[in-house]
Amino acid sequence: MKDTDMTTTPEYSARLSRRAFLGALAAGAGLIGLPFSLRAAPGASGPAIAFDGEALILAEGALSRSEGAGGWIDLSAPAGGGILSLATHPGRPGRIVAGLTSGGVAVSEDGGNNWEARSQGLPAATVTAVTVAAAEPDAIYAAIRGDGLWQSEDAGESWAFAMDRPWLADAERDLTALASVDLATGMGGIWIYAGTELGLTRVPDCFCRWQDVQPGDAMDALVSGKPAQMEAPLPAGEAINALVSAASLPTRLYAALPSGIWESQDAGVVWSQKSNTRALAIAVHPTNADHVVAITGDGLARSRDGGANWTALARA
Amino acid sequence: MRRNVILLSAVAVSTLAAIVSFAQVQGGNARAADVTFLGQPVTSEQIARGKEIYAENCASCHGANLEGQPNWKRRLENGRMPAPPHDESGHTWHHSDQDLFAITKLGVGGVVPGYESDMLAFGEILSDEEIAAALAFIKSTWPERQRDVQARITASDGDGS
Repeated sequence: MKDTDMTTTPEYSARLSRRAFLGALAAGAGLIGLPFSLRAAPGASGPAIAFDGEALILAEGALSRSEGAGGWIDLSAPAGGGILSLATHPGRPGRIVAGLTSGGVAVSEDGGNNWEARSQGLPAATVTAVTVAAAEPDAIYAAIRGDGLWQSEDAGESWAFAMDRPWLADAERDLTALASVDLATGMGGIWIYAGTELGLTRVPDCFCRWQDVQPGDAMDALVSGKPAQMEAPLPAGEAINALVSAASLPTRLYAALPSGIWESQDAGVVWSQKSNTRALAIAVHPTNADHVVAITGDGLARSRDGGANWTALARA
Repeated sequence: MRRNVILLSAVAVSTLAAIVSFAQVQGGNARAADVTFLGQPVTSEQIARGKEIYAENCASCHGANLEGQPNWKRRLENGRMPAPPHDESGHTWHHSDQDLFAITKLGVGGVVPGYESDMLAFGEILSDEEIAAALAFIKSTWPERQRDVQARITASDGDGS
């Protein structure tokens, strides 16, 4: 992949502005005459990407699906607004969850061909990130801009407020990425990792408090009584555009940052940079933790060796 | 005869005391026999004492009925979180006994460096026995499922049971 020397914050701000602009356009279109429906709708803005089994779902300008050698097939995007994030679960093949710029969550149960609004109870604000609980395929989390983390236990049919936004550098920070990580918290559940404009954080799925990522579980953090020295964290203060945990190997994390693609093999304690091309979205194969696809500043790229080598992925 | 009357009266008083004590415990769902703390069995007297300690020291923030502060999931203006509920609707039962004891004694900031909280360090106010009694009372209010889950968390945290 080609190297770029892009600074972090300005790029992130520019991307957000573009998203906000596209979201406003989509919302405006909806107000003029297109109520949220199942019909074909304005294109998906993205960038977002997810695996659905062996297939890829891509939201970048338009929404499309690739089964592999057969190329890309255009899909009808959910009505009402562009897609900011996508999530799937290996236990629910064909179910695609989309967080929308105009607010709300849309769910497809047929691989992205048809969409249904599932936003009952959610505030009408941009959904910046979605993820499906690794241990409960019908549980979905959605991050709402300016609000916090919401939870559905019935595949989006109903929603409940779960947790306020993390408090970082003397202010609440929006969540820019979400990943359910199937590792025990020591508190009877698993972790939800999140990206913010200032870096990585995580919360146990009992929602007691946002906390820094450090070795061990939540109990270890309390027992030690002091923050662990992190030998190789993600770049301090850099925005996280996307974050995934491999379903087949939950300690394996990939993060898409303005500085590039980063990989961790120990649930986020030690990170290594796998690419220095600006990364916007990332997805990991459900059964092969080394198989990663990313949307970068140079286009779509694939690695089959955990990010060591990348090849451009044709869109035609 | 008079001795028998005295004995009967004593038994009646003891029984009544036990009933009263059990009734006091019924702020919760559990009998004292169902509650342990740090691996030790808890008596109904400890739970009753814990209920008093809770009312005097904890209820003003965490609620008379352990319901927490209103809107407790929403951060306050100063960035701190409101006092959460201690009943089954909150997350207290996701913490081990050791964890609960440490947080109560040292305050949240005492176990999470840099974490700002309105929670006091009760080690300066209550004895270890009083803290344990208050936590035993809280545990006695949880339904069986929450008590079972919390017992497993305590066991996996080591030294808890």
